[in-house]
Amino acid sequence: MSDARLDFELHRRRLPNGLDVVVAPDPALPIVGVNLWYGVGSKDERPGKTGFAHLFEHMMFQGSAHVPKNGHFDHVERAGGSLNATTSFDRTNYFETLPSNRLDLALWLESDRMGFMLPAMTQEKLDNQRDVVKNEKRQRYDNQPYGDWIERMLGLVWPADHPYAHTVIGSMEDIDGATLEDVSDFFRTYYVPNNATITVAGDVDVEQAFARVEHWFGEIPRGADVPPVPGTTEVSLPMEAAVRDDVVEDVPLPRVFVGLRIPPVTAPDAPAVDLVSQALGSGRASRLYRNLVRSGKVRDAFSYAFPLTVGGSMLLLGATGFPEQDPGEIERLLTEQMDGLDDLGRAELDRALSLEEARLAQSLEHVGTRADRISMNARIFDRPERVTEELEELRAVSLDDARAAAERYVATPARAVLTWRPEEAS
Amino acid sequence: MSPLDRTLAPPPAALREFDFPTPRTSALSNGIPLDVIRLPRLPVATAHLVLPAGEDRLLGDRAGLAILSGDALEAGTARRSGADLAEALEELGADVDVHTGWSSTTVSLSCLSDRLQAGMHLLAEMVREPGFDPDEVERARQQQLARIRQQTMDPGSVASLRAQHEIYADGEPYGRGALGTEDAVAGWSLDAVREWSREAYQADGAALVVAGDVDPVAVHAGAEAIFGDWAGHDARADAPAGAARPGGNRIVVVDLPKAVQAEIRIAHVGVARDHAEHAALQVGSSILGGTFSSRLNLNLREKNGFTYGVRARFSTRRGPGPFMIATAVDNENAAAAIREAFHEVRRLLADGPDEDEVAATRDYLAGIFPLRLESTAQVASRVAETRIFGLPADEWSGYRDRIRAVTVDAALAALRSAIRPDELVVVVSGAAEALRPDLEALGLGPVEVVDRT
Repeated sequence: MSDARLDFELHRRRLPNGLDVVVAPDPALPIVGVNLWYGVGSKDERPGKTGFAHLFEHMMFQGSAHVPKNGHFDHVERAGGSLNATTSFDRTNYFETLPSNRLDLALWLESDRMGFMLPAMTQEKLDNQRDVVKNEKRQRYDNQPYGDWIERMLGLVWPADHPYAHTVIGSMEDIDGATLEDVSDFFRTYYVPNNATITVAGDVDVEQAFARVEHWFGEIPRGADVPPVPGTTEVSLPMEAAVRDDVVEDVPLPRVFVGLRIPPVTAPDAPAVDLVSQALGSGRASRLYRNLVRSGKVRDAFSYAFPLTVGGSMLLLGATGFPEQDPGEIERLLTEQMDGLDDLGRAELDRALSLEEARLAQSLEHVGTRADRISMNARIFDRPERVTEELEELRAVSLDDARAAAERYVATPARAVLTWRPEEAS
Repeated sequence: MSPLDRTLAPPPAALREFDFPTPRTSALSNGIPLDVIRLPRLPVATAHLVLPAGEDRLLGDRAGLAILSGDALEAGTARRSGADLAEALEELGADVDVHTGWSSTTVSLSCLSDRLQAGMHLLAEMVREPGFDPDEVERARQQQLARIRQQTMDPGSVASLRAQHEIYADGEPYGRGALGTEDAVAGWSLDAVREWSREAYQADGAALVVAGDVDPVAVHAGAEAIFGDWAGHDARADAPAGAARPGGNRIVVVDLPKAVQAEIRIAHVGVARDHAEHAALQVGSSILGGTFSSRLNLNLREKNGFTYGVRARFSTRRGPGPFMIATAVDNENAAAAIREAFHEVRRLLADGPDEDEVAATRDYLAGIFPLRLESTAQVASRVAETRIFGLPADEWSGYRDRIRAVTVDAALAALRSAIRPDELVVVVSGAAEALRPDLEALGLGPVEVVDRT
């Protein structure tokens, strides 16, 4: 592993209305990244209201009291910057990167939709975005081979009333049923300053940055406390028993996914699981690549540990086979690798660390990514400074820790298996 | 409601000055120039090895060979299989990427700064001792063929490639696609790849750029140890002349009978990257079609709703690359969009830009410049461009000042010297039957319909 150390200056304050503000000054370049991370995601959706967090993210671009529909894109693009937003299980994030003399533009846009969105909401906009989201679902999920894999896998790994049991995109029926009142309720409940972290990273004066955030956001009233995550959040780790779903469908190639319940990303043994996952299936020196892909036993394979927080998280492994290959054989090859980690070596962990060190340091070169990771660490870990300490957590994982994590969470028979067998051509 | 006045977007504050980091330049004992840019912010580094191995020196049955040979460098060395090479790089957490364009081949290494020397050893091995394993080269060749075929399926690429073909004289490399033709690529042998690599991957003509949290003295010593004994002939070649196919305005329709949209390109031969009035031309062409608030976008998108977007730009190449306006519109708006585009070009050249427009564009270009200098890889790329295009050493340190010094008159003069409205050729890829009557009614010269090749 490398001796490289990361270090940033960070300042954190809370406005009287509860808004969590982090300023990370860096005068190297006259640019600034603004990242607003709301503590709401698909985990907060109630039965019959799935897909709302994501639908709502779309509505946030439809204008607010002082910003016209699509005004966010127009203004930021005119200023030469970039922007977007994403919705996940645990959070929704909105972000802009701009020349630093346009900081006020980003704060004006973000504060207007946090404070003054409802006056601009109309039935027409909702109908329009419902259609956009339904098209997105058709295009990205329904119309794709294996497109419902995440829906099937979440249903296998989590109990039906767990917050992670449904997808972020949600169901068409629920999206169809969304009313203006639902949208307003959602906004009033979750899009409140006391449920958000804003990070300003880049070429700013610390005091001035706090002052500008206060100027634009200070008058937005605090909301009620955000309700607890609905449903059953306590689950056993790993899963109680093996479950499976064998699908025969018109897909191009046989494919197998394996899902496992692992500790939440905030748990003490999460770094060990993450490192094991990377040694197993991230990069061309990983076990799955060396033992299965390069040797021609399967076409491709991967492993990925989700960074989820509520009760547990999910480790996902997958492999795609060759046209005539039996999914059962792919499953056997994959699970052999998962079960054979007792000889995991220090060199493998170091390789995984090397990759992760470089990835993390390179991602932090960009103020946009840096602001996002700071928001995440503030929100999820209540430690924005973890943005640079995360590597230390991975470096601190001993070989024994890694082997123990592998045995407990990866080599377990209690796993969810999802297989696809291509339909016979008729 | 809010006591703050939120009704108007807050105006830009004053731009902050900043200096592009000055490279420390030296030469290895064999003459390879080395530029080192110290960026101590994060413990990362990027090294670029720039080779004068661009597609612009290849013609006929060698077209596309530079891209293939570059791609095949990633597939192993004389001492290491592709798999072993990938593994050796990953052990360092390093990534090597080979990019071949019209003007150069750039092999770039990105890693943590304390892995730089080890990574450079691997980079050097890749370039100096390429493996060119027959299976790996064949795989790269099939991928290139697939990319060429994919371009022929994409209406936008079809239009751009045809426009290049129409504006350059026969025998000009820029008149073809950079990837080469299916026929040429299908005909290559392994020997052709080896021959090209010996011709173009040589110390004499190469340049090194390193950016990151590094000590320039140590980088020089490390580079000398790795590349200092690399000898060979002068691999440089002149840039293409970029001779134009003579003629006035005309319209070429590439017939895609099922297309629901028309991809439009309006082009003629432009200027080389080392053009003396680059800054003024950049301001001028941004006003025409380089920003959201450009003349073309305000007309075609905002006023008429013809298109999602339209761009006008001069290509960045060693020789005179194309000047091209590009947009996509519905079939029924194609002729009107072309008419409006010509109107905007002629109006801008006749009356010149407004003072406000020039001021806003200067600030915009100066403001966004640092947005693309965030990473060591981006900084190294900028500095590598000074080597590839033969630009002055102060190209980037003086960039903002030059942009902000551009006057209305300078922008107009640069536009008038580089854009010739009477020579613009229009290429439309789309459903010819539906498009033809309107295009003929435009009176912009002859309309020719051709098949997709």
